[in-house]
Amino acid sequence: MREYILRRVIYAIFIAWGVFTLTFFLLRIGPSSPADKYLATLVAKGENVEELIAAVEARQGLDKPLYIQYLDYINSLLHGDWGWSFSTSMPVMELIKIHWKYSFQLILLSMLFAVFLGILIGVYSAVKQYTKADYIATFFSFIGISIPNFWLGIMLILVFSVKLGVFKTYYDTSLPMFSLANLKALVLPVITLGTGSMAAYTRYVRASTLENLRKDFVRTARAKGLPDRVVIGKHVLRNAMLPVVTIIMFDLSGVVFGGAYLTEIIFGIPGLGQISFNAIFADDYGVVVAVTLIGALVTLFFNLITDIAYTYLDPRIRYE
Amino acid sequence: MNRLVKYYWKRTMRSRLAAFGLVYIIILVIVAIFGPFFTGDPNAVNFAEKNLPPVGFSIEHSVYDIKSGEFTTVVVKGSLKHPLGTDDKGRDLLAMLVSGARVSLYVGILATGLALIIGSVIGVTSAYFGGVVDNALMRFTDIMMTFPFFLLLVLIVFIFGPSLNLIIVVIGLTGWTGTARMVRSEALSLRTREFIQALIVLGSSNKRIIFRHLIPNVLSIIIVTATISIPGVILAEAALSFIGLGDPSVASWGRILNAGQDSLDTTWWVAVEPGILLFLTVLAFNFLGDGLRDAFDPTK
Amino acid sequence: MRLSRRRFLRLCAKAGALAMVGSLGCLQKETVPSTEKPAIPQVKGTFIEGTSAGDAETLNWIFAADQASFSYVGYTMDGLIAYDNDLNIVLRWLAKPIEVSDDGLVYTLTLRDDLYWTGGKQVTAEDFVYTYKNLMFADWMPFNYKDDYREDVDGKREFVEVRAVNKTTYQFIRQTVDPEFLYTITDFWAYPKHIVKKYEGDLKAFTQAEELNNLSYTGNLGPYRFVEWVRNDKFVLERNPDYYLGKETGAPYFEKYIVKILGTPAARHAALEAGDITSTVIDPLQVKKFKEMEHIKVYTNPTASYTMLLWNLRNNGWEGFKNKRIRQALAMSISKDALIQSIYLGFADPAFSFIPKPSPWYVEEGLSMYGVGGLYDKEKASEILAEEGYEQEGGRILDKNGEPLKLTIITNSGNKVRESICFLVKQELSDIGIDVELKFLPWATELNQYLRNKVPGSDQPPAFNNGPDAVSEKPWDLLVIGFSTDPLAPSGSSTFFSSEGGLNIEGYFNPEVDSLFQKVKTREALDEAERRRIYGELSRLLSEELPGDFLAFPASNVGFQKNVMGIEPGISMGYNYHEWFFA
Repeated sequence: MREYILRRVIYAIFIAWGVFTLTFFLLRIGPSSPADKYLATLVAKGENVEELIAAVEARQGLDKPLYIQYLDYINSLLHGDWGWSFSTSMPVMELIKIHWKYSFQLILLSMLFAVFLGILIGVYSAVKQYTKADYIATFFSFIGISIPNFWLGIMLILVFSVKLGVFKTYYDTSLPMFSLANLKALVLPVITLGTGSMAAYTRYVRASTLENLRKDFVRTARAKGLPDRVVIGKHVLRNAMLPVVTIIMFDLSGVVFGGAYLTEIIFGIPGLGQISFNAIFADDYGVVVAVTLIGALVTLFFNLITDIAYTYLDPRIRYE
Repeated sequence: MNRLVKYYWKRTMRSRLAAFGLVYIIILVIVAIFGPFFTGDPNAVNFAEKNLPPVGFSIEHSVYDIKSGEFTTVVVKGSLKHPLGTDDKGRDLLAMLVSGARVSLYVGILATGLALIIGSVIGVTSAYFGGVVDNALMRFTDIMMTFPFFLLLVLIVFIFGPSLNLIIVVIGLTGWTGTARMVRSEALSLRTREFIQALIVLGSSNKRIIFRHLIPNVLSIIIVTATISIPGVILAEAALSFIGLGDPSVASWGRILNAGQDSLDTTWWVAVEPGILLFLTVLAFNFLGDGLRDAFDPTK
Repeated sequence: MRLSRRRFLRLCAKAGALAMVGSLGCLQKETVPSTEKPAIPQVKGTFIEGTSAGDAETLNWIFAADQASFSYVGYTMDGLIAYDNDLNIVLRWLAKPIEVSDDGLVYTLTLRDDLYWTGGKQVTAEDFVYTYKNLMFADWMPFNYKDDYREDVDGKREFVEVRAVNKTTYQFIRQTVDPEFLYTITDFWAYPKHIVKKYEGDLKAFTQAEELNNLSYTGNLGPYRFVEWVRNDKFVLERNPDYYLGKETGAPYFEKYIVKILGTPAARHAALEAGDITSTVIDPLQVKKFKEMEHIKVYTNPTASYTMLLWNLRNNGWEGFKNKRIRQALAMSISKDALIQSIYLGFADPAFSFIPKPSPWYVEEGLSMYGVGGLYDKEKASEILAEEGYEQEGGRILDKNGEPLKLTIITNSGNKVRESICFLVKQELSDIGIDVELKFLPWATELNQYLRNKVPGSDQPPAFNNGPDAVSEKPWDLLVIGFSTDPLAPSGSSTFFSSEGGLNIEGYFNPEVDSLFQKVKTREALDEAERRRIYGELSRLLSEELPGDFLAFPASNVGFQKNVMGIEPGISMGYNYHEWFFA
């Protein structure tokens, strides 16, 4: 097991390097420059554009040859220096340290919401297969999967914040993280981000539970006269979770970098999503590379966790 | 083969939702192909008829007079000439939505197709050859999988400029990883089956075995994946448009929605109509995909 | 060639995004009812300004190039002067008006003696001189606006001379006359010499210096002090109890001032309606709704920016544009009233030249007003086109080769107003038989492939104006773009319309225009009446010559919660924002 983990870690470093290199060169070979975003206003105001572009690029060291920039970058990364973010004027790592928690709380709560409700509804739906409750659950889960989350977010704000005044129209970062007020402020964002996943998990859990309900060991357990609660809670659920864990892990990357970003924009949450996408638009490549790299590492980490979780959930799986 | 199709068709149509999905999609495809010949030109602007509401609705139009500081307000009613209303340039929304259906389906089908082709070829090749080839391809798949997909999409589209074809290619080039893995594992189990073994012994060429036997046999997975991926791609394009990275030269549903989302409380129909279509289309594909999956599932 | 910065916009933008969309004031001078002003405003509450125009990049302002950065710093430091509603200079850090010598070469500035940095050290002339000479003008410092402080001396670009006279007085000494240099030298703040001296020459250290990045040196120099900046979220300031202008009045009156970044216009509108923010810019379509709300008041302000339809007069544009009469015919077929009504919903003034109405140099007399009244006449336009050899056939105008004429109009994608204008131009020109094809491009593409040009086959680096023979990589015919004019120093616009102009994208070359722009920079022009005459002449000439079709000066709308008092919705709303208070 230990050797297996070590191998995976080395492998993860290799993949991280691949992702890093790919991102770096993608950014640097593109025709855009960090000065671009000023050009619109500068041209409008009749300013000396060429001089300004030269000044901006000189300041960021972009006038050096590409391979030197690449080697310099790797060198400073190895020394633990993630560089300076020119579009926000602070060290890249500090920027990420400040903002990751906004994404983290949103994603964590959304996943809890999605997993908890997804499993609950999914199992219930499976147990009550072909009843009215099952049909309703199925129908709504389809709606949940199909509704574009940015659309849902806008609608929720329009109804609950503007018309009904129940919630604030934007997320307030001055709220203490562990407070009821913060939890309340996150209700709409969590629904916006979590609904799609929740609906998807409902589908998977239902299917997976149904499959397991037909298995022999369930029949045996039932034949033994164990109450449904025990059969489902102990035998079915545990086995049904196996594929669901994979799905959740697989979904996570999309949630973090897709849905979370859109949700952050709509609710004005200054999370990593906003930070990284603004960095893209600002050609702030230090931040883009760092975020991509971290995203990749997190994904790799969760993959590893999934694999390990498998060995516990399913004793038949062993890694040598 | 024909009998097989019939069999699966029957199994799929057992689900009423899947049948609904299929009917909706067929209608949508027909509308996308032939609709533009019946509706007007989606790009025909007429500022005299801008912001007309759909039939049955009315709205106030106000113009400010900067000299007097007064508003001139008229109430405008929707008319049959523009049953779904017009946008802020007086373009007919019905015509725009119909041509937008074309764009959205085009993106969805092409990008998914590309991803499936790449994914199947890589998956089958990987499974068939095994060893070093399998290892290299799967490591590459891992790198691609680790890349945050939407971030990469935004990055590339931002750097190289938003064009529909670029968006399709990027989605295609990044979206194949799941398919590759699934196809690989399915093909792996197929490879051990007798008839493939027999073909290898009989000396059939690799290409022949892959394209004639392996791929058709994993077709069920491919069909299901396609049906489930298409709405994802349509939504990805809409999300890109939402953040302003849609192709400005074509009116996809995402672009129309993006144009209308800032005025939801006034000219609501501009954003609501493509939103509903987007939703229904994704729903229909999901219904169908689900039905197909059940149909292909031998345990049911 | 002198490229001037439009610093005026920044100085007026003290109230940040409120003023940002270019808010120099108000068309109708709404008088503030006297009941609005109780005798003694009280210090209370938090003012939250919502913006979706993007976050600042740096508080270390010498590196700034974006509006938001300048505006953020501006809350903590006033700067030398401000402009009031009539565009008169209001002294801030300066103790008395700037003295200009009779020959127009020496500018003397005198600071107040009660200004100090955090820690109690007085702000001196030496701080300013040091900031200019050792920082802004220094080779190691990639300062973006160096060229504003250079002049042509014997064919060479040289920095102007800056020197301290005594503790509070310093001078700029030029070798050539430029009456509008006056507005350049009040542009920037200073750095405290005793703090930044240790970073001199070390770009990395200067960039990352903590004191400079968190504005901890601003003493009593502005109404607010920096508290916190959460990127992409909010910029938080607290009341500065030591504020030099508040000694008697107790200003400012908000305990906190927050700039809140909101992702989309929809979020901005929703937040104002729900009362979650105090103020924000309102899109034209929403204005009526907000004006009708009990708890909101909306002010309409004109801007110094205008939208323009440029024709490509270079060799890869339609050859017809080189003929002035044809340019006039096209301008005659595009209705500015229709444009303003359908696209700006009335919130704009028609433009005929580059000088905005609120500018002291605006002269209406003699302007050729194409696109309105009698000069909006499509039949006449068709006649002119026919006279100049472009006959219609079957409702379509034919080009030189006898093919139906097709023009390409471009603009940057994402700007919904400009995209709409393209559609309107297409609609208008189709009435006189010209087919227009639309192309919406991302900025980088538009700038690099369509606007930058060079002489074909040469190894020139592409620039926006490489002379009359230069052409862009890809051809275009019409371009919708926004320009802005410094209403006090409009000569900066020579960059758009004179032969040597660095942003003469369209390729307009006219010696008469060049010489008028040059005349502004002479000793005679020190006389305001003479300058007025020159600008009048320029406006008339350009309105008739049409280097492009000047379309409209859009107005901006700013909404406030009703309980905000003390707002003067004049020509530069926000210049007195330190006196605003909650009722």
